[in-house]
Amino acid sequence: MIVRLAAVAAAALALAGPAAAACSQPRTSLTYLEGQIMCPTCHTTLDQSDAPAAQSIKAYIQKRVGECATANQIEGELVANFGAGILAAPTHKGFDLLAWWLPIGGVLLGAALLAIGVWRWSRTHEPDGPPGGPPSPNGKPQPELDAETEQRLDELLARLD
Amino acid sequence: MSRTLKLAGQAAALAVVAALLVLLIWKLTHQHHAPKLGTAAPVFSLHSLDGSGTLDLASLRGKTVVLNFWASWCVPCKSEAATLERSYRRYKSQGVVFVGIDYHDVTGDARRFVRAHALTFPMVEDGSGNVTENRYGITQVPETYVVDREGRLVLHIPGPINAQSFASEFQRGLLKALHA
Repeated sequence: MIVRLAAVAAAALALAGPAAAACSQPRTSLTYLEGQIMCPTCHTTLDQSDAPAAQSIKAYIQKRVGECATANQIEGELVANFGAGILAAPTHKGFDLLAWWLPIGGVLLGAALLAIGVWRWSRTHEPDGPPGGPPSPNGKPQPELDAETEQRLDELLARLD
Repeated sequence: MSRTLKLAGQAAALAVVAALLVLLIWKLTHQHHAPKLGTAAPVFSLHSLDGSGTLDLASLRGKTVVLNFWASWCVPCKSEAATLERSYRRYKSQGVVFVGIDYHDVTGDARRFVRAHALTFPMVEDGSGNVTENRYGITQVPETYVVDREGRLVLHIPGPINAQSFASEFQRGLLKALHA
């Protein structure tokens, strides 16, 4: 019985050993990389392509992930092999930085222009105050009466008294 | 002030439209087209697949050159590999140089392909596809060009050279280039 248990334990250790000792850091996600790398012949990311070239690169990534290579290492190797065009997103250095900052700059500039436009529009369309006298009790502006109309109105009101 | 701002806005809008127009023209004029037969073969300098250095097409001037564009992931490339190697062995004594241009390929896969098919002619790698796509207008492999001694393109085979429709054309074109 003890011999059997020892044999089972040894077998379990033998199977678990390579897996446990495989990588010292968390294993790179294959799915993540397939979304970051382009298929060079079909110009979509690998996860959206079944083209032979894409399959070949997927197999390479899978192999390197199995060898515990990091995402940066794998991307670097693919760039060395295929050029920077293999990356789905531009890098964060040099001229490529423009691709990241230009859209943000564009949005900020657009927002600033919009704010200036709204401010200017609100200034040109601001009511200067309607002609006439003080507002009536219901808040609506009261038209000013000329002297003749006012005199006739006074006469009419006097008759009513 | 308001008039100045308005003018500046209009100028900026015009500048954006002009920039977009320039981009459109650039894109239209830089579309990839296959070079015409009879014109000079687009030159290139590419790394050897075995890592032994670079190969410059200009250095082969004076020789008939067969440029074969291929990739390890390309199924028809496998079928034409043996025919290519046979042709190379047959014509190399007559001064014909075969050059394989490996396109958009993982280097390790390409080297395995060369070993598996026992290909012995020089191989270079074009991982980025710059030469294959931008200079030769090729987006699908295999394709083959024959360059004469003067450096002019004399034959274009847009498919595997062992295919029935291309096999005799390739042989005829190669002989014509040799005796030109």
